[in-house]
Amino acid sequence: MTAAASPLRRVLDALPITVFVLLFIYLSVNSNSFLSLPTLELILKQAVPTVLVSLGLATVIIAGGDDVVSGGIDLSIPATAIICAAIVADQLTNREATLIWGLVLAFGAAGVIGVVNAGLVVWVRMTPLLATLATSVAVVGVTKVITESRRIGVTDPTIVFIRDGQIAGIAAGVVLTAIVALAFWHLVHRTRWGMNLQATGGSRDAAQISGIATNRFVVQSFLLAAFTGWIACTFVLARGSGSSPGSEENLLLEMVLATFLGAAFSPRRVVTVWGAVLGAVLVSALSVGFISIGVNVFWTGCIKGALILLVVASAAAGRAQ
Amino acid sequence: MAHALLQMHDITKSFPGVLALDKVALSVRAGEIHGLVGENGAGKSTIIKVLAGVYKADGGSVAMDGETLGDVNPRTIHAAGVRFIHQELHLVQHFTVTESVFMGQELSGPTGLRRREMTRRAEAFFREALGTELQGSTLIRDLGIAERKLVQIARALIDGAAKLVVFDEPTAPLSSGETKKLFAAIKRLKERGIAMIYVSHYLAEITDICDRVTVLRNGRNVAVFDDILPDSADAMITAMVGRELDALFPSSNHAAAAQMLQVTGLAHEAFSDVSFEVRAGEIVGIAGLIGSGREELVDTLYGLRKPSAGSVVFDGAPRTFKAPRDAVAAGMVLVPRDRRHDGLVLDMTVSDNVNLASLDDISTALIERRKAGAEKAAGVTAQLDIRPPNPAAVARNLSGGNQQKVVLGRWLTRGAKLFILDEPTVGVDVGAKVEIYTLVEQLAADGAAVIVSSSDPAELVGLCDRVLVMLRGEIVAEVQADMLGIDHLVALTTGGQAA
Repeated sequence: MTAAASPLRRVLDALPITVFVLLFIYLSVNSNSFLSLPTLELILKQAVPTVLVSLGLATVIIAGGDDVVSGGIDLSIPATAIICAAIVADQLTNREATLIWGLVLAFGAAGVIGVVNAGLVVWVRMTPLLATLATSVAVVGVTKVITESRRIGVTDPTIVFIRDGQIAGIAAGVVLTAIVALAFWHLVHRTRWGMNLQATGGSRDAAQISGIATNRFVVQSFLLAAFTGWIACTFVLARGSGSSPGSEENLLLEMVLATFLGAAFSPRRVVTVWGAVLGAVLVSALSVGFISIGVNVFWTGCIKGALILLVVASAAAGRAQ
Repeated sequence: MAHALLQMHDITKSFPGVLALDKVALSVRAGEIHGLVGENGAGKSTIIKVLAGVYKADGGSVAMDGETLGDVNPRTIHAAGVRFIHQELHLVQHFTVTESVFMGQELSGPTGLRRREMTRRAEAFFREALGTELQGSTLIRDLGIAERKLVQIARALIDGAAKLVVFDEPTAPLSSGETKKLFAAIKRLKERGIAMIYVSHYLAEITDICDRVTVLRNGRNVAVFDDILPDSADAMITAMVGRELDALFPSSNHAAAAQMLQVTGLAHEAFSDVSFEVRAGEIVGIAGLIGSGREELVDTLYGLRKPSAGSVVFDGAPRTFKAPRDAVAAGMVLVPRDRRHDGLVLDMTVSDNVNLASLDDISTALIERRKAGAEKAAGVTAQLDIRPPNPAAVARNLSGGNQQKVVLGRWLTRGAKLFILDEPTVGVDVGAKVEIYTLVEQLAADGAAVIVSSSDPAELVGLCDRVLVMLRGEIVAEVQADMLGIDHLVALTTGGQAA
């Protein structure tokens, strides 16, 4: 006996993909350059920071479950990336420290954020949505103190290489990000640790009964998320040639959209690592596409917000069916 | 005679104010299916939890294979080869069969998960041990309930170390066809020499598959049956019940008047083709185990669930209640089974809870007249003898019985025509029970129709005029209460006797 999905559920499942396909058709028709190799490369380069933070968010959602309110979510990853970028830029430019030292300091900061998030969720038992929103706001505040709300330019050769360099003829940032993404995919989808992480998010009770220490996995997911924020910081610096406070907002928007959009592409309709990567690339393509046909950047934000609503709402409605 | 695999001796366990187990013994022989039966509160779950190491016994010993276990905790019990199939399925909907079977015990090599090996082993286990073909790549959400149960069983047994498997109400959510499938699997496990403890309310199943049966009553051993025959169910019921009707109940004999509710062919996922009528001034009981469809029927009548077929005529007119507010507007009210979550706003006062459903009566132009509300609540408090007699008391701090009176009081202020009481006395002490029974009796005497849905057979026999018995989604009997003994009703609800 099998329980077939209802027709309404199938429509809801297909809705986000359909809307995206229609948007891409529209962009291809209205822009001469949208379907070209240079644009593709630009899309991938632009996608890099979003891919990295989406890996983190996907990990947290997989460990905490995909209920938008009570499940796992970490809104502080973009803020983590931005504060790490600020710390590195401040060390390099204002204090003439080495890149390594800047990265070490930033790693410490990311670690603190991860521990605070994990502590609030697992021990204080706050909902992840509120806990990470609060950390995010606090982290943005500290970032402003560090940078005095000003842009800090960076000219470190390693950062410049990540921006302009190539590995095997492909942009260095894209290659490095692909390696990180592959590592995450293997960890989450191809190891015992990953299966236990998925079980924890899939059903906390089932996981516990199977002898899985669920809290440990939730804690580790928040630490990994902070870690992706830390990795993303170098790419944020490369993309902007320095640290720019305020850029976490767009990153947050793209991260949430990419990760939940990824679920719509997964055969099981759940958040996955490769789905998040694909989602991030599509979201980047959308941004580049809108610019190429001259859509006002403020409208782009509005459209992305509407798409988040569409993706998350259709997932929620599909579950209710 | 086979040797004893599990021996639990003199197990005693008490909770504050309750002696849940009083020197209970349970002995399971190698390779047998051992039934464990008893009414709600007899101590079945408690002894299983002691065996699982979830509860620590106050006294007694547990031995496996002749060796006494020093410390009974989940780890030692697992190491001793005891596995538990919980009543809840505890599966991840979007996991595959393979992933579910190996959850928490995945096979892994140097390059990561050994998916193919896991799938091969899982499918082989289903084929050889459970006698069913199940694809490892199928998602749990695409399986029927019986198959999910088999996945749950496979998860417990896949490591091949199980000697004793405890089944807790495994068939409660299953239809009779699905039950057969499960039984086939259980019998195959028995052929492989695995002993089982089978906990169930369904006596027909117990007599069907068990080799021996232990009966508990009020935390004590009352009988062990060695030779199980189809007609052993009667003797088991006598052992389980072992009591006469308490003198809690007011005399009940009502002159049933005009028809109030007529249900015809009502159906839903959990029940089908349900037809019955209730007359004004009559108390009609609904009996049935968990999974019988009794709870869903009550919810459907009240507009909480959508029926898939059938019609309801209430108070002389055909009705389709889309939501409880429609039912309330028509004069049908529900006292829900979970009063703490669904019946009361626990942090509000008695007064606010009482007035919740009739705010229109105590407000003028959208402004609540607090004084009128307080007076009304004071009247209800006095009428129902709610203690403390203080409408300003917070509902959370009241005893279970008094909380239930508050819920009833809310509907009294509306003058409803049909009261549906779902498990009206669960968690209520004896004194308050008598008061609630008297109140229900009064409602009927005043001309209201009353439906009592209950898992307590004594309550149904003592309080009602007529009892409908549900079993696996169908009404299997309709009996006048004065023709009905507790034993008889238990036999009907447990499938221990045909209607």
